[in-house]
Amino acid sequence: MSGPGSGVTLDDVRVAFAARDGDGPVVAVDGVTQEIPARGFVSVVGPSGCGKSTLLSVIAGLRGATSGRVEIDGRTVSGPDRDVGVMFQEDSTLPWKNVTDNVRFPLQIARLPRTEQAARAQDAIDLVGLGGFERRYPAELSGGMRQRVALARTLAMRPSVLLMDEPFAALDQQTRLLLGAEVRRIWGETHQTVLFVTHDISEAILLSQQVWVMSYRPGTIIDVVDVDLPDDRDASVVSTPRFNELQNRIWEKLRAESMRGFAQENQVPA
Amino acid sequence: MSVRAPEAVAGTARRPAVRRRRRRPGSGLVSALATVVLVVLAGAVAEVGARAGWWTPDVLPAPSDILPATAQIVAAPEFWPDALRTGTELLLSCVFGVLAGLLLGVAFWKAPGVGRVFEPYLVSFYAVPLVLFYPIAIVLIGINQWSVIVLASIMTAIPMTLNTWTGLRAIPPVYLKLAASIRCSRSQTLFRVALPAAAPYVFAGLRLGVVYALIGTVAMEFTTAQAGLGYQIRYLYESFDAVGMYAYILVIVAVSVLLTAVLEIAERLLLRRRDA
Amino acid sequence: MSLTVARPPGGSRVLLGSVAVAVAAVVVWEVASHLSFVIPRPLATAGALVRDLGDPRFLAGLRETLLAALAAFALATLVGGLIGLGLGLSRWARVVFAPIITVLNGVPKIVLYPVLLPVFHLGYGSKIVMGLLFGLFPVLINVATGVREIPDVYWRLARSVRANRWQTLTHILLPAIRGPLLTGVRLAVSLSLVGVVLSEFFATKQGLGRVVLQSYSGGDYADMMSTILLLIAISFVLSLLLWRLERRVR
Repeated sequence: MSGPGSGVTLDDVRVAFAARDGDGPVVAVDGVTQEIPARGFVSVVGPSGCGKSTLLSVIAGLRGATSGRVEIDGRTVSGPDRDVGVMFQEDSTLPWKNVTDNVRFPLQIARLPRTEQAARAQDAIDLVGLGGFERRYPAELSGGMRQRVALARTLAMRPSVLLMDEPFAALDQQTRLLLGAEVRRIWGETHQTVLFVTHDISEAILLSQQVWVMSYRPGTIIDVVDVDLPDDRDASVVSTPRFNELQNRIWEKLRAESMRGFAQENQVPA
Repeated sequence: MSVRAPEAVAGTARRPAVRRRRRRPGSGLVSALATVVLVVLAGAVAEVGARAGWWTPDVLPAPSDILPATAQIVAAPEFWPDALRTGTELLLSCVFGVLAGLLLGVAFWKAPGVGRVFEPYLVSFYAVPLVLFYPIAIVLIGINQWSVIVLASIMTAIPMTLNTWTGLRAIPPVYLKLAASIRCSRSQTLFRVALPAAAPYVFAGLRLGVVYALIGTVAMEFTTAQAGLGYQIRYLYESFDAVGMYAYILVIVAVSVLLTAVLEIAERLLLRRRDA
Repeated sequence: MSLTVARPPGGSRVLLGSVAVAVAAVVVWEVASHLSFVIPRPLATAGALVRDLGDPRFLAGLRETLLAALAAFALATLVGGLIGLGLGLSRWARVVFAPIITVLNGVPKIVLYPVLLPVFHLGYGSKIVMGLLFGLFPVLINVATGVREIPDVYWRLARSVRANRWQTLTHILLPAIRGPLLTGVRLAVSLSLVGVVLSEFFATKQGLGRVVLQSYSGGDYADMMSTILLLIAISFVLSLLLWRLERRVR
């Protein structure tokens, strides 16, 4: 457990897979060198299939990079770390556990003392606004609330780095906005380092301090946009001119990439 | 598991196996090869054990004795009455069972209340327990093919009914809305939209049904009958003809393999390009 | 596991309907028994059952059948569960063994009973092995399928919190396959019983299957019927209870 967030350094990270169809290796991530400052909030946007989730799983230690290095706080990442919290896109709440037990799960695995488990779990549940729902089961909760449970679970370990892989992609827009605001508020309180992957440009700008724009496969960072909007922004910032400038800038870069991705994925069979 | 699973998820119905597209192209070949190797290995062990006297010939004769005997038996005219008997029973039970299953499946879909009333019976008699009624059927109908056919048809109809019903219930409602919006008649909706949509489940039910038809038929003949492959096995056992008995066992295994293979191929042909 | 499944509207009406079906069946039986020589009256059958339950030899047969079925079922669940886990977790194992298992599943296993007899002889041994073979496959296949169907994200979650193998087994794998396991167990219960009884139809020293055949050849159709119905009832009730449990779990 650590206090405020740690810096994350990516050094020429490259990830390649052997292709399924025997066509040669697929390069998902190609030479990404970036830094996330400690306590920073960075988003990664890119078209579907561009490798942003792959990049995130490398940082999470769930997958190894083919070459290059990831360092967190100066330590090289070689596997999943309790100090790095991961929130997945799919619903990862375990249906047979209630909310509290779901949130407690990583603490149980780490064999923390029971009283500690209970205290941390309750803190996390309260932090994400699920107070009162401790005994409910995921089947009784909406998609948005289940993602809150997943978020609480990730926070319960008090990681110094939080990796979020399109956590709100499956939710409706209003829930997305609400939960996005929650994440930003929580970040303000915990001061963790956050890497947030999304395909939604306005979400990326709204929530983060810096946006990395990723190209379609092989994924590289083709633009880094500093979001110079006020820190205490709320949803109304979306209609400001500066927001629109940033959005247009990112979309210009992404549009060509998206079309390239679309053409690639939907090739007409010969 | 890409195993076609008869006694699998039966409670309400067998869900068509999730075919993960991660299957690498060579694995079918490896599967086939591995199966051949295992069979040959088993045969080799059986041969060595029988010849070396690890067990007496009445337990398991050498495959080198069984195989020629099988060929002889199948080629002989005396084989055919039994084969025909079993074949007829199998065929008729499948036909009756599948038709009944389809009818009932559709009926329960349209009248779910009625379906739920009968559901506990369908579920509890799923798979083989009906075979226990065979003595009663014999008393009623006599020791002939019809007592077998009646029971085997019911055994086939049950998984067919459950799977058809579940498959129809699993149709995305939007398909039915589509049918209504283009003003399909009821039979058009059923035959052009609903059943095709439910086809994977229906086919899974068919596979289960055919398997149970065979298992039921042979089990009943084996218990008591006038003719049939199952009957022969019992007869040969009681005549202490181990080689002959194993020859017939081999024939039944071969029939079962054949059926499984045919159904697998049929499924791939009929349902390809449908994977969501 | 305290999920309460909302009862569908008219749930008790359905129950009434199911009971009505059973009653209707008995009525049909009664009518048929008047029309035919060979069908015993329901009442006579019930009487035969009561009489049998007081007969120590019958009870001995009942005990033998049930004990054999229980042993067969326990073994089938254990062995089938373990093999199913192995197949579910290992792609290699699936590739190698899946075709054989599919084929074996479709073979009428009762024909192997004469093969078992010389090895295990006429007592409990052969029956239990037969019951085991009958009950093995549902558990095996359902567990294997259940493991395969565990959502990918659960495995990733386990890795991201660094759960070790035992923790992954107890927190994720076993709870996730409760439904399929229960389905397999439900099928194994009735199949093991059927396997044992079919074996007894063929050849055995003692057991209800033998009682059935003896009654048949002695023309005691009431006895025959009552014994069969007793067996069916046992299978029926157990399946039903497990089915209800299974629905709650899923």
